[in-house]
Amino acid sequence: MMLMLSVIIGISIIIVFSVYSEAQLEQKTFVTHTGQVIYTSGDILDPVYTNSTVEFDPDQYLRNFNYGRVSESKTDQIIRDFTIIAEDDKIQEISPGVFYNVWTFNGTVPGPTIRATEGDLVRVNFINNGSKSHTMHFHGIHPAEMDGVFELVGPNGGQFTYEFIAGPVGVHPYHCHVMPLEEHISHGLYGVYIVDPKTPRPKADEMVMVLNGFDTDFDTENNFYAANSIPFYYQHHPIQIKTNDLIRIYVVNMVEFDPINNFHLHGNLYNYYPTGTDLIPSTFTDMITLSQTERGIMEFQYKYPGKYLFHAHKVEFSEKGWTGLFLVQEDKENSGD
Amino acid sequence: MEEIKKSRIRTITSGLIPFVFLIVMILYIVGPSSDLLNFGVPLPEITVEKVEFIDSEIQVLVRNTGPISVNIAMADVNDRIQPAAIEPDKSLDRFETALVRIPFSWNHAEPYTIGITLDNGVRFHKFIEAATPALKSDYQLAGFFAIIGTYVGVIPVMIGLLWLPFIKRIGKNKYNFFLALTVGMLIFLGIDAMLEGFEVSKENLSANFNGGLLIITITLLSFLGLYYSAEKLTSRTGLTASSKPFAIGLMIAIGIGLHNLGEGLAIGAAIALGQVALSTFLIVGFALHNTTEGIAIASPLAKTKSPIFKIIILGLIAGTPAIVGTWVGGFFYSTYTAIIFLSIGAGAIFQVALIISKWLYQSEQKLVQTSIVSGVGAGMLIMYLTSILV
Repeated sequence: MMLMLSVIIGISIIIVFSVYSEAQLEQKTFVTHTGQVIYTSGDILDPVYTNSTVEFDPDQYLRNFNYGRVSESKTDQIIRDFTIIAEDDKIQEISPGVFYNVWTFNGTVPGPTIRATEGDLVRVNFINNGSKSHTMHFHGIHPAEMDGVFELVGPNGGQFTYEFIAGPVGVHPYHCHVMPLEEHISHGLYGVYIVDPKTPRPKADEMVMVLNGFDTDFDTENNFYAANSIPFYYQHHPIQIKTNDLIRIYVVNMVEFDPINNFHLHGNLYNYYPTGTDLIPSTFTDMITLSQTERGIMEFQYKYPGKYLFHAHKVEFSEKGWTGLFLVQEDKENSGD
Repeated sequence: MEEIKKSRIRTITSGLIPFVFLIVMILYIVGPSSDLLNFGVPLPEITVEKVEFIDSEIQVLVRNTGPISVNIAMADVNDRIQPAAIEPDKSLDRFETALVRIPFSWNHAEPYTIGITLDNGVRFHKFIEAATPALKSDYQLAGFFAIIGTYVGVIPVMIGLLWLPFIKRIGKNKYNFFLALTVGMLIFLGIDAMLEGFEVSKENLSANFNGGLLIITITLLSFLGLYYSAEKLTSRTGLTASSKPFAIGLMIAIGIGLHNLGEGLAIGAAIALGQVALSTFLIVGFALHNTTEGIAIASPLAKTKSPIFKIIILGLIAGTPAIVGTWVGGFFYSTYTAIIFLSIGAGAIFQVALIISKWLYQSEQKLVQTSIVSGVGAGMLIMYLTSILV
């Protein structure tokens, strides 16, 4: 009897201890800037290199264009109908482990990219489901009453339909224009509005990058910066492109608090079309400086495959998240000859 | 017998009844189903308690000093986000601590700000004036600290004791002056220790711990405890007139010893935190300052015949804690130990000051006389002037 008991106790002790020692040995790893591998028995706090995802998917946003519900009037006028719903009660993970009250158009920051062709009738059915008044103010040419400044749309279901002819050609921001404006913008009420020329631009791999930031501790200084909201996202989820493909980026700077932002591309230069209003590039460069809501179109092709950085050369911003990678892969069929 | 038992039970119950009502009231206010006090937002808070610079790694000790549990989300150096690890894990209950390890090739003597961001996006930070490698605890360093402690504590006190023959030869008034000088010095040192404690608590202790009240409470407890035990000691043993001065000398030595422990802590911590320039001044300043402490011990002994070895022992009691202080400060520095030692020292010093004053009063029947008033004033002035050197 005693023997049995001692055997049972002995075995259970061995089991308990092996579980215990395994728990002790379970180690996680992460890499540093220099590529050094660090082991830890605790948790990893690494938004920079560790592959992580949050609710909002910048990859999906990157190449997602909304052309609206298209119809034609009797006079052959193309009409594009959009529905945009504003909310201001969401708590979203805006960097791994960091939660922030975002104010959104259609549930995301930035809001959906609205795209039309010059001369189309754009009709935006705007519904405000927030707890505060909100509006949509489009940059572009439109009648005064469609400017979204004085026509406040009330909370809890207020509605307004913005109607205007798309123009001019280019890339423009839209954002809420309710006071206090800085608060409404910095919480995330903005998005991109693209007007294509009637003769389309050359075929390209097109993407949208909104340069933005979040002031999570409300000290009027951004704690995070990014291209498309999530800091460092394209660093651990490189944007895949092909050699010799024409790449076209619609870039819009929506950073608040800091007077400037910029965009530097590695291993390459790009043709830059400020505001996208002209079809001839104004400069061929690897560095542009953007003030608030300043925007433009960048076009480039990569000759050599590999990994190329793009980031703010205001390095503070890049070290707080506004940095990413292009992973350029060899395209055998389209080898450029 | 029955009667006594019953009345005892009654006494106990009547003592407990208010407690029962108190518990009921607290449950009513903060209990799970109560929303009476459901106003305001509890704000999470953490305190960065310690930052150490190890080979190509910065190690940060954080404590949850807020009213609710928190999750740590991110670490940064100079406001630039860095990959990091947190051990044992990123969620901290109230008062729990965790070690954040930030791999970072820091530069010697450069200033750094270490930031820790919580899951609600709020960032807490601590500024380090100059990065210096964390000390490795080894015998060599312990020896180095012992030498510094000797220079600061033991030798200056011994030098101060050399004034003993001089004090022995002087007249009663001049002797009273020196006793009063001691009182002035002690009052100064006690206030100094408390102010030092307030400073440490303001810089490094979360407001949660009520640093100021902690210092006052411990100072008073130390004062009352020592005063009570000293009274008991002197009354029970029925000390003779000649041995009483020695008892007072001993009390002064113990009080000053605790004070020197605090000074040792300051020096050890300054070296450990890499404030080398500061620690050099501390060493020179404290050494000069502490010679005056020798006078304080010598004065009450002057009119008695105390054997040399006893005087040396008093000097050692007063001086050697400085060595212990440097060890504790250098190897195991924590805000709490520093504040507690400083407060105990302050209480001990005030107690000695009171005992000498009582002694002076007993022999003179009044305290307002030129020698005593000028002595106290001079003592404080001397202390102030030498403290400028620190």
